[in-house]
Amino acid sequence: MRKVLTIAGMALLLVLAGSVRPGVGEPGYDTQDQGFRVAEAGLTEEQLAGAELWYKATAGTSRFTTYVFQQRMGVLIDWFRVLRADGRRDRFATWGLINDPACCTPGSPGCPAKSLEETYGFEYCPGDAELLRHVGKTGYRDPACDFKDPGGLGDKQNPCDLEFGTSTGALGFRKFPNPRFNAEAWRKVNGGRLGTWNGYRERKPASPGSTMMVSHLSDPSIEPPFLIGMSCGACHIAFNPLKPPKDPAHPQWENLKLLIGNQYLRSSEIMASGMPTDSPEWQLFSHERPGTVDTSAIPNDIVHNPGTMNALISFASRPHGFSEKVRKWRPVAACPAGADPDACWCEPGKPGKCKEFSEKTEDVYHILKGGEDSIGALEAIQRVYFNIGSCSEECWLNHLTDLRQLDPTQRNFGQTPFDIGQCRRDCAGFRAIEDRLGLIAGFFMTSRPADLWEARGLDDPGDLVEQLDAEFGPGAVARGKRVFVQNCANCHSSQPDPTENTDFRAVNAAGHRIDWLGNDEITPVSEVKTYRCRSLHSNHMKGHVWEQYASTTYHERPADPNLPDPSGGGRGYYRNISLINAWAHAPFLHHNAVGPEICGKPSAATDDLGLDADLYRSPYVKISRQGSHPVYQAGGQAGGKDDCVPYDPSVQGRYELYKQSMAELLNPQQRRPKVSLLDHDIRIDFGPRTFRGRTIRSFKLSVPAGLPAGLLVSFDFKPLVADLVLAKNDRRKLESRLTERLGSAAEAKEKARWLDRLGSRILRKAVFTQNLRLNPDDAYTLFALYDTCTAEIENEGHPFGESLSDDDKKALTAFLATL
Amino acid sequence: MRPVRLLACTLLPLFVACATARPTPTPSPTTAPSSGYAAKPDFARVERDHPLTPAERAALTPESLSKLSQDEIDQIYARLTAGPIPDGPHQGTVIFARGGSLPRLEEILGGVKGFLAKKAVQDLEQAAEFLWKGKVFYRDKRELRNQITNRKKLARLFKADVSRMRTATIDGREVGLLFPAKLYCGQSLLDSRRESVIIDYFFGDEIDGYLPEIDGIAGRGGLQIRDEIRMVRPGFYLGRAYVAKLFLLNFTLYNEEVAARGGEVREDCRPGAQQVASAGGR
Repeated sequence: MRKVLTIAGMALLLVLAGSVRPGVGEPGYDTQDQGFRVAEAGLTEEQLAGAELWYKATAGTSRFTTYVFQQRMGVLIDWFRVLRADGRRDRFATWGLINDPACCTPGSPGCPAKSLEETYGFEYCPGDAELLRHVGKTGYRDPACDFKDPGGLGDKQNPCDLEFGTSTGALGFRKFPNPRFNAEAWRKVNGGRLGTWNGYRERKPASPGSTMMVSHLSDPSIEPPFLIGMSCGACHIAFNPLKPPKDPAHPQWENLKLLIGNQYLRSSEIMASGMPTDSPEWQLFSHERPGTVDTSAIPNDIVHNPGTMNALISFASRPHGFSEKVRKWRPVAACPAGADPDACWCEPGKPGKCKEFSEKTEDVYHILKGGEDSIGALEAIQRVYFNIGSCSEECWLNHLTDLRQLDPTQRNFGQTPFDIGQCRRDCAGFRAIEDRLGLIAGFFMTSRPADLWEARGLDDPGDLVEQLDAEFGPGAVARGKRVFVQNCANCHSSQPDPTENTDFRAVNAAGHRIDWLGNDEITPVSEVKTYRCRSLHSNHMKGHVWEQYASTTYHERPADPNLPDPSGGGRGYYRNISLINAWAHAPFLHHNAVGPEICGKPSAATDDLGLDADLYRSPYVKISRQGSHPVYQAGGQAGGKDDCVPYDPSVQGRYELYKQSMAELLNPQQRRPKVSLLDHDIRIDFGPRTFRGRTIRSFKLSVPAGLPAGLLVSFDFKPLVADLVLAKNDRRKLESRLTERLGSAAEAKEKARWLDRLGSRILRKAVFTQNLRLNPDDAYTLFALYDTCTAEIENEGHPFGESLSDDDKKALTAFLATL
Repeated sequence: MRPVRLLACTLLPLFVACATARPTPTPSPTTAPSSGYAAKPDFARVERDHPLTPAERAALTPESLSKLSQDEIDQIYARLTAGPIPDGPHQGTVIFARGGSLPRLEEILGGVKGFLAKKAVQDLEQAAEFLWKGKVFYRDKRELRNQITNRKKLARLFKADVSRMRTATIDGREVGLLFPAKLYCGQSLLDSRRESVIIDYFFGDEIDGYLPEIDGIAGRGGLQIRDEIRMVRPGFYLGRAYVAKLFLLNFTLYNEEVAARGGEVREDCRPGAQQVASAGGR
């Protein structure tokens, strides 16, 4: 009997560890969504609990990406285009999404679902037997309700509010049954079928002869069968550099890691997948490189600032001793009777669960590209959930800028600060995550480097040195170390005063790297000289939406006097990032711009509705000049649709990309310039619509293809509108404003006259219901006057190492590959 | 017809006719109107510190609301929930509040231009009340139509076949039923914290009896009108009308029979997490 129990116990452990987890179609499959245990094998149950939250918890993001984004912000997501079951084969190549190994295509061998009609066109995933029963009905019990908090629930928020749902088939994207779904309405719009969304998403002219294309994605009266949400894993689950998949479209769990950051994800294209290609939303926000995301596109700061998903590697060695003044909520045993809830608040019914708002000096991390989110690691993790939509309705949408609001006396003309205390009180999802941040942070601390020697299956690092010396020349690695110490370690080592004797790969007693290979100190962007727009991110400034997530020290940073654009209040800096595992994380810099462009190669160029499946657009340009402004010709030297390197997450593929990227990094003069250009005219209707003579009037603006997308994203048009009004009503005031901005009364006078003429042209066009086409001369005048960031070349800067000899450059490349 | 009347015709779906003769006490505004967006109080804080009491709701009328500034009306709206999706005919009132949308033109333009703008807004308000009498909700079908008087003139103006126009007799008066719209629970464009009942004209052409010559003005090829409403108390709703997602005006809707019936309030839409004072209280 004892032996039987032992065998049963071992079997249970193996199942829990994922070694013999039920496969598709096997008994127990439907309750299994535990693949993360395989991806993160070797962790404790507590660490795995953190991994599970990172992998599954959406904390209410599904309402944001199903209702809020579409209705309030007017940006449409075509979820079926992205997640349809019959698109599994090309999903990685088109969107960079990683397929869930546990899901199956209905009708495939062993799949519990036999047809797409059963799954509303999506894949069938663990937990769907229960979920599909609740489409169009209430009463769904979210799998998160079964989440077991290590140490018990205690006074934590109900785990149901973590909202796991089930997988959509793409990792990190989770689905929920929509109780408002109406099968009859769905069939009516989709040609009598439940298993397709094509009628719902098909774009048709808004009216006969109209060039405006619309679909029922913009008809909220028709509810889709699923609400789609995101977990943090949506951006961070990635291929394991140590165990890459044989076929990226069909990975297994052992090929995955949850923290690294998906280097291929086209998140901005996903978020704008329902928008026409001539819409501003598509043209302006979908030029971000794979693996980057502009997290200030939704809480828009009118700065073009995409950046990579921060690679969470070796977090335990990350510098966190930045002593800064921090105002935030801190746990206390109790609040004084009658305390102002904005100063001290205890959660009702949970004695002793209290927090007080105070300022103290304490050691913090610098988390984001410019060191933002600097009030503590836990708070920084919590804010990730807002990036993906959590608590949007309860806490932060009312604080965002409405791009349509042109009157500065009206709400949402600009941002107002998010209130952490209010969000804690009013959003259950906030509390559900906050109460478990320690688990997630604990999981972060387990992240380990993926070293090239191990990826190549070598016995030890010495074997890799031998291989690299053979490739780059005898003694290359040792020589590269010297070059590194002399030229790079000042910023890219976290050890004090590194020398040639410093062991940059040393580990501590716990097995963690001692050196983060980046000191996370901030450097003025004018010194780094890289594309500066990300450093001008303004959402953490005082008065802006994430003010409470930046330290007082951050707010007190001085402006960078060497910049042509406004800075200060925190803006104008980049932190010195880590070089750990640089071999696996090319291309380089904060927005993946230095190195070859990478792209997927889907099997078809378009989907069944004719929408693009190949989303690559070459950013390489040829530059000439016309008058005072540059002219960019798309494609550049030998550029075009095929000037990108196909996605290749294999060890050799990563290594080759690393070498090419290093060559570009160390040879700035040889870089082919990159500027993401509009590849289609944009049509914008703005201002009030009126009606006369049976004709609708609005101000119509056409922005021609070929202009830099970044300059348009950073174009702060609201002051322009105010100036246009002043040009007609109060020229003297306008000249005074412009003098303040330009520093020259004569130039201000000239620009005021120009704005007056521009206003007249717009009004004339509006009267005759004609389209005003922005010409490049006018565009560059406007950019110079109103852009928050005027940088254009995306892959410039970081000239350090440029003057090294070729042999030193090769040696440095060899040495960095060992780190 | 003067241009401003023509403009008013285009905005008909937005307008409701005033019908109530209730006393008009005004709830205490929570803050003074402010000059800049950043100084306006956060809705969550307003609601926490100054929840609308049942007595304050009971005192609200179209007349009392019309005396408030736009920011005061916004703060009242934000403290309401959607309540049930209405059913049947509702009468109402248009409110162009000072400090909001079109009335701001007077301040922005100033001088003679400002005076002319103010005059145009007044004409618009009068024209709207002359032509537009209310809305009719078809709750079960999740549809809505607007009550229009002078429908024959309107048909001539837009070269529409008046015989194809749907009509109804409401309060003993025959009205045209125009500008069909879809009804659903959706996002408020003012206050994200809870849903509103949305009246959406974008796909009005999918509703039976759509007259493209007239109804198309409100739809996606036209002004792209979208209204949202929240309930003050049973039978009485406060609404906001948008043109291409730009706020245009406030309106109220009133159904005397439902108001007299009162009773428990059902929330058809997502009421949000923040505690609100009971809408059904009397």
